[in-house]
Parts: sequence; structure tokens; C-alpha cells
Amino acid sequence: MRHIISVLVENEFGVLAKISGLFSGRGFNIESLCVAESPDPTISRITLVTSGDDRVLEQITRHLNKLVNVIRVCDFEDARHVERELVLVKVASTERTRGEVASVASIFRGKIIDVAEGSMVVEVTGDGDKIDAFIDLLRPFGLLEVVRTGIVAMFRGAAVLSPVTRDERPQVAVEPGHEGRVVREGSESDFV
Amino acid sequence: MSSLPETKRTTKHPLAGTAMNGADMMVQVLADEGVDTVFGYSGGAILPTFDAIFRHNAARPKTEELRLVVPATEQGAGFMAAGYARSSGRVGVFVVTSGPGATNCVTPIRDCHADSIPVVLICGQVPRPAMGTDAFQEAPVFNIMSACCKHVFLVTDESKIEETVRTAFELARSGRPGPVVIDIPRDVQLSQGVFKGHGTLHLRGYDERLEALGRSVIPEETAKAFFQMLGASERPLVYAGGGVINGDAATELRAFAQRFGIPVVTTLLGIGAMDTTNDLSLHMLGMHGTAFANYAVEDCDFLFAVGSRFDDRVAGKVKEFAPGAKIAHLDVDASEIGKVKGVDWAWVGDAKRGLAQLSRAGKSFRRDFSRWQKHVSDLRRAHPLDFNRGSDLVQPEETIAVLNEITRGEAIVTTGVGQHQMWAAQYLDFVKPRSFLTSGSMGTMGFGLPAAIGAQLANPGKLVVDIDGDGSIRMNLGELETLTTYDIPVKVLLLNNYGDGMVRQWQDLFYTSRYSGSDKSLHKKDFVRACEADGFGFSRRVTTRAELRGALEAFVGYEGPAFLEVVVDQSAHVYPMIGPGMGYKDMITGKWIKPRAHKDVVVDPNAGF
Repeated sequence: MRHIISVLVENEFGVLAKISGLFSGRGFNIESLCVAESPDPTISRITLVTSGDDRVLEQITRHLNKLVNVIRVCDFEDARHVERELVLVKVASTERTRGEVASVASIFRGKIIDVAEGSMVVEVTGDGDKIDAFIDLLRPFGLLEVVRTGIVAMFRGAAVLSPVTRDERPQVAVEPGHEGRVVREGSESDFV
Repeated sequence: MSSLPETKRTTKHPLAGTAMNGADMMVQVLADEGVDTVFGYSGGAILPTFDAIFRHNAARPKTEELRLVVPATEQGAGFMAAGYARSSGRVGVFVVTSGPGATNCVTPIRDCHADSIPVVLICGQVPRPAMGTDAFQEAPVFNIMSACCKHVFLVTDESKIEETVRTAFELARSGRPGPVVIDIPRDVQLSQGVFKGHGTLHLRGYDERLEALGRSVIPEETAKAFFQMLGASERPLVYAGGGVINGDAATELRAFAQRFGIPVVTTLLGIGAMDTTNDLSLHMLGMHGTAFANYAVEDCDFLFAVGSRFDDRVAGKVKEFAPGAKIAHLDVDASEIGKVKGVDWAWVGDAKRGLAQLSRAGKSFRRDFSRWQKHVSDLRRAHPLDFNRGSDLVQPEETIAVLNEITRGEAIVTTGVGQHQMWAAQYLDFVKPRSFLTSGSMGTMGFGLPAAIGAQLANPGKLVVDIDGDGSIRMNLGELETLTTYDIPVKVLLLNNYGDGMVRQWQDLFYTSRYSGSDKSLHKKDFVRACEADGFGFSRRVTTRAELRGALEAFVGYEGPAFLEVVVDQSAHVYPMIGPGMGYKDMITGKWIKPRAHKDVVVDPNAGF
């Protein structure tokens, strides 16, 4: 299952290594990773996308919550959210094809941000599927270079991931009977 | 956790406003934190700090000194600090130089992390301009340590030195305790500044989570659900782990068990959480737990895990662990809940407050568990630990059993790792918590001797015994000399079976006795003479059963550091044993422990599982 996890961390060196270590230590690949300062420059927001067993992901989320420099963690799995990614595509173009590329870009609400002899750079924003579709459409023209930023995400509605207010779905297991907090039989695996 | 609180901000630190260098500030914070002993090995990049310790001590009367204990290797320093912390509950401190000094500490740091032991390690680092240039004695301490400890600080900002050290202590002892590393470049140690005398780093997320943990109160409904489960059960059992000891919750656990009449099994690290001589104590469960403890786990219908984590040495076959039981779990670490075993009730909180709150909530709870209590008493009587009593050779179990008759559960005992460790866990009584110190999760051979040194320095006047094996003791043998150098009256009991006994046991069971790399019968070391050479006033060897008791009595009664080697039967195996990945019903009890009638398991050494 694909998970988008956002983490607010103290903006200090070493935090990213520690966080990625939690994933690599369990053999999980990070499919995309986005890090930037938040409005408060002492805090960074990390958004990463990974796939894996939900139960192990829940463990990782709890371990993220234990890291000293981690302020907040949320997993957008199951939550109503919006996600966006930006892609820059450098595509081969001739005078003849330039117009076609431009029309594909405009269908995707993209922007031509550079035109040169034999190539164009197009920028498109969207969720992962849209970006995939866009790249596929440009493929016949000749993809010279593609660079994607990785996904960023937010809750829909008023819910926010903020250092001040707590996530509406706290990750701490505290009481029985609450969905997602008490792990049930049947999902456990033996050691050895 | 017991430790001096940070100097109150309302009262100004007497040295506030004083100009000093970074190393002086660190040493002053150590003193403010109540540290009385620092384990450390010097070197170029940490020299400013060693010099600061020297000057700190020179300016003070002997009673206010930071005692500096120098080990044979940095790993020794780490395990001394761990022994100090485990036995006292106070944060252990060790100080080493950059590069090899720091990398030699990776093992004790990881060991402390795995067993949740609060220590602070201060590592010198090459000066800031030299970092990342493969400078002399440089190692990427931040990267290496960050995967092995609770937290690591690299101090690059000289204005945050004292705050960093104070925060390191806070982190080490709070929440689920653990090791914290401070990597501090030489030029930062030498930087001049003005001592403030107060302040910590602000760690928003951690501080908030910790505060929430400290405030948490088990809601009425949650407590009610717990007592409904307990009320519906006929055969409840408490499964207590190291979290009870680390959380200083032994008193609460004992009161809880007594109040509700519930028998208790403990993990290796939980030994001492219950007074093992108490009727409700069934001693250790798991791979080498007592037969009666493991039978009780099989039989129980409600298992209450407190500060324990269903480790693979306890629940090797998870699905078959406590198969008939509803499970409740109280732990300070949310990530342990449901990690291995699904649970029916859980509460995240420290064991001390959690148990006290449950006890209060269950004030009016009444249920008679006397039939179950009688059942476990019968199990204890019918399936006691036992060993080969007919042999002419000294039996390792007998050695520890005789020692137990002398020390009567009052000694602090450390161990190496292997058979002797398991026999010590099985055959010794412990009246108080923090008296059995052993490397549980990591299983680090060589732990026993340095840990005993640290424990003795934290507990002057107490009897401290290191029970070691010939394989384990060799790993930190240099620390024998540390004992006599500082005249630390640790008693070192070596069970010599000329090999790595636990490895040999597995080779016997699973590798048709091919002793690849585990036999030490050709080793020439004369331990007794080695100890004499190191200045031991008491250094003896026992080879016959007849001399055993007398030698042990003289050894324990000796006033200074003492060494006793007991040459034991090489063929002895640790039983009971639940093979790796096996369920409790597959427990092998060996030749000398009576199994339950319907479970006569015969070990076929050729089975090769």
C-alpha cells in the first residue's frame, strides 16, 4: 500500500539521515522525498512516499514519533487530502512539433518555460497520475530529460499539520477499541 | 529517574557570568548534574576536557571531585558507565577521544540503546575546519552513532555547549531511557565563552510528548476494561520486563501482584522487579526460563505485559505464545504496543504511574485466584531447576547455587553472555531491583567485568560479583587490571568450561557436535596467574566439588578485589530450552528437570532443525 507521510522536524542537520534510516533499516524504499523549510525557519517539513505492509508502516510512524527532533508525524493514508507534484520535462522539438507540444502542455495546464533550438522545457503540476499521463504523451516527441519534485500533500478541509495543534489522528496507542490503535491478532508474524 | 534536577533558574548559578572555555562548561554541567564518576580514556581531540576535569578536581576538596576512572579500552568505559547506570538509576557518563576512541564505543552505546540504559557519551572530534577531510583520528561519529543511540548531538555552535550537555542528560533519563552521544570538536571545547548556569535546548516534539506522557492518566473506562478482563480470567499472569526496573516501578509491581494475587514471570532484564524469593515470583520465562514459568505462560488465560516487549527470546513463535490468553500491555513506548503480538488492552505510560493508577482503580476489585496460585505452586514444586548431581566434575549450576546460598539475593551480580549468564539468571535470587546487570538484547560478551566495576563504584560497600565465562571474560580482560589499579573490591567468579559453552550447546543440538571455532581446550591462559600478575590479593582455582563451598565463602568474604576460577563440567547444557522459533509446548527440559507428564520430549541431536 502506498503511503504519503509528512513529518515536521527541527531544522537541524542529521534529521533527514535519521528518518531515512528508519525506512532503510526495514528494507523500505522511499519512492519520493521532499524537504523544505516551513514558514517557521526552525522547522522543516519532510514529505515522503513509500509503499509497504500497513502494519510495518504503522511501526515506522510510531518510531518517527519517537525521534527527538521530530515534532509531528502524519500518514495521509485514508485521510482526505490533496497531493501535488511538479515536473519539468525537456522534450525534443522542431519547428513543426513545437505547436503540438504546446497544445499538450496547455491541456495539462502546463507552462512552456524554455524554448531553444531543438528542445523545449515544459512545467506541469498535478498528482502522480496526471504527471505520468503527461510524460507518456510527450514520449513520442523524444524525452530528453525529466525531473520530478516528489509529492507534497495537505489535508482537505480545516485539518492542518501544525507544530502548534496536534494532528487530529494521534499516532499514540492509548486505549482499546479505538480504530487503528490496538493491533489485532492475525497480523503477527513469527521471528526466525 | 533519580538524578539531581537542573539548577533552578530562580537561584542563580554561583558560577554564572564566569568566563571559561567550552570544556570547562561541560565539566561544570556534569558536576551540576550530580555526576561523581566519569569513565574515560584520553586522546588528542578530548584533551581539553580531560584537562578541565583535572583543573576542576584540583580546585576542590576530594569529596567534591569528579572521580576519573581510566579503563583499558573505551568499550570498557562504556560498560562501566552502563553498570553504574543500571545499578543506580543515575545517568552513567563516559568520555573518549575522536576516531578509534569513539568507534570503540559503538558496542556499548548500541548495547545501552537495546536495553534502554541512560548513559551520556562525550566524544572529542577533530577541530571543525578539519572535519570531513579524513583527518588524523577522525570518524563520522554523528552518522555512526545516530543509528545506534537515542540521540546524538554534534556541537558546532559554541554558544550552545552547556545547553546541549544538560539536554543530553534530560534525554538519557526521560521517557524510555537510552544513550545520548555528544560529539564535540576540539576547537569548540577550547572556545571561550561566558557560563550561564542554566538553560536547555528546546525540543518541541519530544518535550511535548514527554509532558503528555507524564500527565497521562488511565481513564476510568480503560481501567474498567482492564478489570473486566481480569475479572473474567481464572489464570492471570504478569509478564514484567526491564521497563519495570528502568521505570523504578518494582515497588508498584510488587504491590500490584500482592494486592490482586497474580503470579509474576519476568524477562532476563526484569529479574529483580519481583523479589524472586516471593511466593508469587515464578522467575524468568522464555528460551531458558524456568520450566514452571513457561508452563504458567502456557496455562494462563490473561497475560499482563508490563515494560516488556515480546522479544524473540521470549516469544520465539509468536502465534503460540500464551496461546490461551487475553493480553494486556503497559509500556512507556507506544511503538512497542502491538509490535510483535496483538493485544486486547493497551496503555502507553510509565510502569510506575500506570501500575499505581491501576491499583487505585481496582480498589474494590475482588476475585479469588487461589486455585491458580496453588496450580503454579505445584508447578514450581514439580518442575524445579535441576542439574547433574551425581557427577564428580564441578557443575556450573551447582557453583551458582552455592554462591546463592552465601549471597542470599543481596549481591549485585553482573554477567558476560552465554551459558553462565543463563545459569546466573536461573539459579540466583534477587531481593531488590537493579541487582542483576546483564547484556540482554545485544548479548555482548565482555560486558560483565567492566559493568561490575561501574556498579561497584556506584554502590560502595555493596557486594558486587561478576559471574563470567572464559570466552566472555577474555573480551575485556584488560579491565582486571583496572580493578586493582583503583582497588575496586569486585568479586570475579569465572566458570571455565574451556570454550564458548552456549555456542557448543547449539552445535551439540543443531550441528551434530561439530565444534567449529568454539573449543578453547588448547588455550594456554592461566587466569589465576594472570590475576596475580595484575595484583589480585585473592586469586584461586577450584577443580573439585569438595573445595567449592569453602573457596566461594573465602572469595566472597575477601575485602579487596578477588578472583575465583571454577573449572566446570564442559558437557553441561542450559535447560530448560525452547529452541529458536519453537513454541513453549516444544520446551526441552533436559535430563535433570522433570517435564510435564504428557510432554516427554526426547532430543534427537541428529534432528538438525
